[in-house]
Amino acid sequence: MSATYVYGIVHAELAVPAELVGLDGAPVELVAHEGVAALVSSAPTERPLGTREDLFAHEKVVDTVASDVTVLPMRFGSVIERPAVVGELLAPHAAELTAALTDLDGYVQYSVKGRYEREVVLREVVLADPDISDLRERISGVPEEASYEDRLRLGELVVGALEERARRDGPGMHETLSAYAARAVARPSSDPEQVLDSAFLVPRGRRHEFEHAVDQLGSEVAETVKFRLIGPLAPYDFVAEAG
Amino acid sequence: MTVASQGGGANGSVERYTGGGSSGLADVVEMILDKGLVIDVFVRVSLVGIEILTIDARIVVASVDTFLRFAEATNRLDLYGKGKGGKDLPEMVQGITEGGAKGKSSGVLDAAADKVGQLLDGGDRDGDEEPEGAPRRRPRPRERTRERER
Repeated sequence: MSATYVYGIVHAELAVPAELVGLDGAPVELVAHEGVAALVSSAPTERPLGTREDLFAHEKVVDTVASDVTVLPMRFGSVIERPAVVGELLAPHAAELTAALTDLDGYVQYSVKGRYEREVVLREVVLADPDISDLRERISGVPEEASYEDRLRLGELVVGALEERARRDGPGMHETLSAYAARAVARPSSDPEQVLDSAFLVPRGRRHEFEHAVDQLGSEVAETVKFRLIGPLAPYDFVAEAG
Repeated sequence: MTVASQGGGANGSVERYTGGGSSGLADVVEMILDKGLVIDVFVRVSLVGIEILTIDARIVVASVDTFLRFAEATNRLDLYGKGKGGKDLPEMVQGITEGGAKGKSSGVLDAAADKVGQLLDGGDRDGDEEPEGAPRRRPRPRERTRERER
């Protein structure tokens, strides 16, 4: 019984940083086969996986390595028996894994999220729409129970207006940043205040350019949108399902 | 959550997080539970609880509660003022997502009996995802609103 946790797939010539540890502080090793290798450690067998620490440990291993070389990140919770790492994972999939690594070689992912500044944008929404401002007037000072329907309608209108605005603002931002990326994906969002949630595959050599472009965009719309830039990361949004 | 560095923009309006352990739980969950390579040889562990968690984080804002919260925020808006009155809601939404995540993962995982060892022995990989209609436990946004107001 030798449960092995797999963090990701790399080119076999990678030297794993000696101090890199994974789940429960277990040392991370490389299991290589024909040019591809799995980043692995022992998996704790006496408890279910999935604590906050487990999630962070997985991400840390993947993204620490990804800051230097391309990693195909495995989804969280990928556990396999030790002999099967080569026999079932690497050997049968060597060709696809190599192709995917080659495809993504030299790129890192950045995730960029933009949220509206609530106060500013809500004010604009209220002032721009008479239906919204009228409803707002009407429920003002009325007890919650007595104005339930109106409140619901007001919220619905406001959420609709925010979403419409995000549909108007978001694509332009996505396009602006895409100019610095080889590929880009816009993720669907269900958060009415989120105007941008995109992943960008950026050549390592253009990292600073990309980061600068995000700063630039952030400055331009600083009044209304707050951005978060996460990366460099492994290409989470750009690995297709394999197998 | 650590902010690795404030953005280099003139007004520092971009918050920046590096990978490798500095981003927030919500970001990590989104990346490593929702994305990443899936190869059919793996035993999938512990995802019974966690996949519900990610779905839940996504649907938490798409509901009547959302409308009521935005109505509340709009109602309390200082329409012509310069003050930052309605600032509490994004934090609140964030809190719900994170709080829900925490509560749920510990609860479900406490109850889960599917240890890695058992899964490897059993060798099956069912229970990846709960059916859509499964009842979900999540914090009541209204109660949280009140907490914030205190």
